[in-house]
Amino acid sequence: MITVSGLTKKYGDRTVVDDVSFTLEPGTVTGFLGPNGAGKTTTMRMMTGLVAPSRGSAMVDGRLYVELPNPGAVIGTLLDASAVHPGRTGRTHLRLLAQTIGVSVGRVDDVLDLVGLTDAAHRRIAGYSLGMRQRLGIAGALLAEPPVLVFDEPANGLDPEGIRWMRDLLRSHAARGGTVLLSSHLLGEVEHTVDRLLVIGNGRIVADASVAELLGAEGTAVRAVDPAALALSLEAAGFHVQHGADGGLVAPGTDPSQVGAVAAAAGLTLVDLRPVQRGIEDLFFQLTTVA
Amino acid sequence: MTETLTMHRPTTHPAVRTSAASLPVLVGIETRKSLSTRSGKALAAAAVVLPSAAMGLAALSGDPFGSASGPIAAVGIFAALMLMALGVLSTAGEWTHKSVQTTFLLVPQRGRVLTAKALSLALMGAVLAAVATAASAGVLALTFGGDPSWDGALVAMTTVTVAGAAFAVIGAGVGAALGNAPAALTGLYVVVLGVIPVAGVFQPHIASWVDLNNSALLLAQGQEETKAAVVMAGWVMVSTVAGALVTRRRSVA
Repeated sequence: MITVSGLTKKYGDRTVVDDVSFTLEPGTVTGFLGPNGAGKTTTMRMMTGLVAPSRGSAMVDGRLYVELPNPGAVIGTLLDASAVHPGRTGRTHLRLLAQTIGVSVGRVDDVLDLVGLTDAAHRRIAGYSLGMRQRLGIAGALLAEPPVLVFDEPANGLDPEGIRWMRDLLRSHAARGGTVLLSSHLLGEVEHTVDRLLVIGNGRIVADASVAELLGAEGTAVRAVDPAALALSLEAAGFHVQHGADGGLVAPGTDPSQVGAVAAAAGLTLVDLRPVQRGIEDLFFQLTTVA
Repeated sequence: MTETLTMHRPTTHPAVRTSAASLPVLVGIETRKSLSTRSGKALAAAAVVLPSAAMGLAALSGDPFGSASGPIAAVGIFAALMLMALGVLSTAGEWTHKSVQTTFLLVPQRGRVLTAKALSLALMGAVLAAVATAASAGVLALTFGGDPSWDGALVAMTTVTVAGAAFAVIGAGVGAALGNAPAALTGLYVVVLGVIPVAGVFQPHIASWVDLNNSALLLAQGQEETKAAVVMAGWVMVSTVAGALVTRRRSVA
């Protein structure tokens, strides 16, 4: 388990990460969302010992990252796909990582095959596209099949097939009891991949809850043959009613069975009845704008 | 560039070492890192080959050599200066290419990484300089550059070997301190080959205490050994301590 407690980073008077705390549980994929400059990457770099925090700590099974004897065996990290020497071949790069982590050199071919880079492995990384560098970075993170994966914007440059593959990879990793922290600006992608959302804005955590909790039903959208009569009936039943521009009605805080019951009691004919969910994009802007 | 690449599901469960990589393993990895890029290979090859080429040209076209130790020292220090660049690239190159991020993610004890780099560079510097000086001495012997005296040649060759190690470590230290390969390479060569010799014209006594290049030459020719050794050791100490202190504190972007 990873426990982040009060992580803070200040550069002079500027606080870029402010008292960030959360825990990452095994068996879950946690999405880390926030606008550019909100502090996601700095938080991840403090977690992995690359940047010294001004205050607070991040513990991996009770130890600081820098105290882990062989971190690559515990946490597979992909923070920046371009952080590789462009003059080496993909295979040489992975062999160096494999020797550092202490896995067999044969494992390099396994992960190259896993990410679909076998045919490009003999080429210098300078000739790789961004998507290929992401795959190489993912391959490096998976060399030891570590229990924890920390990926910063891993979908950058991946094609739709690659994004789907990565989603399956992360989901299956969590299903096997692994822990995943995934930062991304692709909100739709996050929504379909994660169990839990951490939202950061202006360096502070502004939401930390399950996807179901954060994106739960907000109300009911309903269309009736006689919308005015339905609106009166709903208000008479104590529900607040909002009128849509297209003649539809929205009853916030209700579920469809309540609205359907009011319509049935009033003998009104409905042509549409469905729950209204808040989209992750709406949630993102609402939370991060307030922050 | 459009490529069709197929990705598969992970299926294996590899055996993984649970302990930290030992220092000898890290030294081996750092050595492979240095010699796995074109620039590293080119510098290593140049350090070995160019002194012999220079010796051959000098022996064939210049005045006859009175002593072998002088030309052996001169072309040997030429090799050491190229090995200094190998040192710079081993540390500053990692910051320039950002590969230092991966390095410190896998070995977060930065002091261990720098120690491994210093040992690797000392080893590579000594081996490459030894080969270079042996080859250049061989060229001198074959070309009979004026049938020189070989007195002191062994001292010169030993000094060149030590200088190869020292210059490579100095390069690594300065590279670690500056964290930028072009700046470290330019700055180091400007200071060693430009600023200090020019300063020597105006303040010869002060300059002699910081002149790395001339100290190595003097040491190789058995002159002012103690002072020359102190100057070289000072450069090694100051550059490695500066590199270690800066690396310890620097954030990895």
